[in-house]
Amino acid sequence: MPKLTIDGKTLEVAKGTTVLEAAQQLGVHVPRYCYHPKLSVSGNCRMCLVEVEKSPKLLTACSTEAAEGMVVHTATEKVKAARRDVLEYLLLNHPLDCPVCDQAGECGLQDYYMEHSRAKSRFPAEDKVRRQKRRPLGPHLVLDNERCILCTRCVRFCAEVTKTAELEVMERGDRSFIDLKEGRALDNGYSLNIADVCPVGAWTSRDFRFKQRVWFLKKTPTVCLGCATGCLTEVHHNEGAIYRVMPRPNAETNTWLCDAGRMVYKAVQAGDRLAKGVIKNGLIELEPALRETASRIDENHAAAAVLGSPWLSVEDNAALARLAKDALKTENFSFDFNAEQGIKDGILINKDPAPNAAGARRVKAACGGLSFGELAAKVASGAVKVLVTEARAAALLKNELKAGGARLIVFAANRSEIPQGAYATLPYANYFETPGTFVNFQGLERRTVPAVAAPEGVRPLWAMVNRLAVYSGTSLHLDSAEAALKGIL
Amino acid sequence: MISVKKVDNRPLNWLERIYLPEIARGLAVTLRHFFVNLFNPKGMPTVQYPEQQLELPHAAKTRTRHRLKLRADNSPKCVACFMCQTACPAYCIRIEAAEYPDNAVEKYPAVFDIDLARCVMCGMCVEACPEDAIAMDTLEIPGGEQDRARLKLTKEDLLRNLPGEPSVVGAANRLANEYLKSKGGA
Repeated sequence: MPKLTIDGKTLEVAKGTTVLEAAQQLGVHVPRYCYHPKLSVSGNCRMCLVEVEKSPKLLTACSTEAAEGMVVHTATEKVKAARRDVLEYLLLNHPLDCPVCDQAGECGLQDYYMEHSRAKSRFPAEDKVRRQKRRPLGPHLVLDNERCILCTRCVRFCAEVTKTAELEVMERGDRSFIDLKEGRALDNGYSLNIADVCPVGAWTSRDFRFKQRVWFLKKTPTVCLGCATGCLTEVHHNEGAIYRVMPRPNAETNTWLCDAGRMVYKAVQAGDRLAKGVIKNGLIELEPALRETASRIDENHAAAAVLGSPWLSVEDNAALARLAKDALKTENFSFDFNAEQGIKDGILINKDPAPNAAGARRVKAACGGLSFGELAAKVASGAVKVLVTEARAAALLKNELKAGGARLIVFAANRSEIPQGAYATLPYANYFETPGTFVNFQGLERRTVPAVAAPEGVRPLWAMVNRLAVYSGTSLHLDSAEAALKGIL
Repeated sequence: MISVKKVDNRPLNWLERIYLPEIARGLAVTLRHFFVNLFNPKGMPTVQYPEQQLELPHAAKTRTRHRLKLRADNSPKCVACFMCQTACPAYCIRIEAAEYPDNAVEKYPAVFDIDLARCVMCGMCVEACPEDAIAMDTLEIPGGEQDRARLKLTKEDLLRNLPGEPSVVGAANRLANEYLKSKGGA
């Protein structure tokens, strides 16, 4: 356990800790471009130079291991001059693209320039090295070689995290540039992380391109519902529209976020978003739709069934359980989902595409109910006349529904989710718009935080269930999400 | 330092105190102006804004109606960087960015609206612009409409060059000029 002194403060760190990480533990920020906590150390940007006593030259903090008795200074005149000079060097050929560049506002070059340099360029703009700009690479990214400072974070990300190694530094010296290897495509399913790790505007997202300046964005911490991994994410939104989803690094699940998970938000703003009820194929107002649905359920009171959904939050599943037990007074309900779970590709993507199978099982543990197989058999045999469920969960019983001919009543957020043959569809606010608890494959409870408002008139699913019960003559007293959760978590 | 001016208020004399002669004297001034203007309306200094507008001297250092400058190929110099929208204290600018398929500058404003009903004519947008694309030098004083909607300037209303332009100041203009050169333009 080496003991070292940084800027007059002494601390003891684990063996193998670098000076940069030790400084971070003390709350001293050493500027860096090529260093990334989850990538290997490269030491090429030279931004993290610090002064170490008894060392004749400045050392890179990111690649220098902390040693016993080391005395480090991170704010001496010598270090400041080095930072200024390194920045001048990095900015030598950097184009004056800031007004056009999407990175502006969260750009490492802008930030450190304002903090450490503020020097006027001594290099005439005409003499700057020109490179290829605006190269669309892969389905999600644009590369601008002129803005690149060759920190190689992207190269290391592809080599070490996705292990696909599509990117490489071509040529040498001042001719070097980042490029795709011959015959490769940048479609590894995690490519948008490259835009995140890029400290400058060389890699930018095509989806986010020119949509919004970053300083307008508000950030809401929430959970990804793309699969059972349940990564922590951050939704960036402004004036009721979501613009992008970024990972929120945490020790339990994720540092990164897959491309598919980043695109989940698209459904919220899709044109087929449901704000009204659907009976057969016709849109009708919400109230008549609820009344109609309630009377169809009442018709077959004894033969009604409820299937929970691994795509719904624990609250909403619990509300469905209350609907079955207290309003319909039936035993035909199931919250039993046993899809195989586990990381599929060694990085993040889960074998189970539904985010909350574990949460639905908790509802089962609290409320009981049939196993999925038993309910499926009842539906197939025709013993169930009305089935209430969520749109994507209904797809799990597709064949049984066809065989048994039960009337299908689903909750759906988007029109494209509605399964074929659904009798009635009721809208609900999805989890970018309403809070919900999800249990990921590790059993961690995670709560979504609403970032935007639901379309007018659309309420969370538990509130819709409450209304439905009122129309069929029972009050479930579901006044809040907490009321639905009572006795379950 | 506060400067103090001593005012020596003379007490009113007897004529002033009985009030009526002073009323007559004041009315005489008013009536003189009334009849002079009635028979010689051209001598009146009043401008009937907005029907009438004074032509401002060309060197006037005033902030007047905005315009967006143009490049040599009549594309807007604006690159939709949102600096003016960010700086605007009255939230009167609305921009939507779009992408050129071929131009070297990549980005341009598909929508650029200025709501003059909200604008406070502070000139922050001009200060903030890194491309020298917006100016408030048209010497037109906006306002005096009966309908708020008519005070909304769209991109088409704003795009205008003054004689003797286009200018070449601004960061993205290096790329723009290169692009124009490659197309054989100015």
